[in-house]
Amino acid sequence: MLRFGPDDAPVVIVAPPLFEEANRTRALLVDLLRRLAARGIAGVLPDLPGTGESLVATEDATIERWREAFEAAVERVWRGSQVAASISIRGGALLDTLALLPARWQLAPMTGEDVRRDLLRTMRAAGFVGDEAELLADDGPPIAVAGNRISRDLWCDLHGALPFTQADEVRLRIVRLSTDPRPADHRIDAAPIWRRTEPAGEPMLAEAIAADIAAWIAR
Amino acid sequence: MLFEGTPQVENTIRAVLRDVLGLSQDRVDALRPETPLFGSLPELDSMAVAGVLTELEDRLAIVIDDDEVSGEMLETFGTLTTFAARKALA
Repeated sequence: MLRFGPDDAPVVIVAPPLFEEANRTRALLVDLLRRLAARGIAGVLPDLPGTGESLVATEDATIERWREAFEAAVERVWRGSQVAASISIRGGALLDTLALLPARWQLAPMTGEDVRRDLLRTMRAAGFVGDEAELLADDGPPIAVAGNRISRDLWCDLHGALPFTQADEVRLRIVRLSTDPRPADHRIDAAPIWRRTEPAGEPMLAEAIAADIAAWIAR
Repeated sequence: MLFEGTPQVENTIRAVLRDVLGLSQDRVDALRPETPLFGSLPELDSMAVAGVLTELEDRLAIVIDDDEVSGEMLETFGTLTTFAARKALA
């Protein structure tokens, strides 16, 4: 688990995007945490089971397990610090729903259906020609998608999974890119770097995100 | 076939190709209906196609079924524009 910022500062906990998007945005997220630290806000980027440095195999990951892991990570932070908010990016918005959080900040939040649609299309691009119903079958080996092995439980989890929305009674801020027509509290003029197979550093996006988070947390 | 509103759809496609493939604004501005895409643009491999289509779905609020995705639809900037415009402006 990466941690930046002063020991006694309020802490934000990042819920990163899922699967390949986590790799594509890692540099952005580290840059973001550094910028928040410079603004006196501490930040944590937890490793979720089956991702990054985790020892758990990817096929044992499910949305539920990720939610529990994120909840546990938040609880650990509470033991020494004041938790300010979760910061979720894309599919990460699905993961903070169990955690005890005074506030949630989401960038381009996705539903489980959105994630599923992305994954299925990636699989098709990699040559999968089967029926989606096959993927929902209870038995059978994990599904391989672009280097990740996804269990059928995870595939099923995705179907009903939802992030918190404005309809839920939680303190929430939704930020989207200006090219995204869906509702948002604020928009940032930037490209969706999570779509690029080889993203370069995006200091302007990191700065825009850091500025918005810092201003919102201060309110 | 020109739908009213097609230029807007066209500009959205230019922006998506720019954002997903990392092309310059100049390069996407230079795309013409006859400019070949899939098979000609090196940046547009199968994985990039997935990103382009999903991003188009999001920006144009359309749904693209798997069986609509074909070499023909992606053959040129013009064929992609016609396909997307037909869905977006229907």
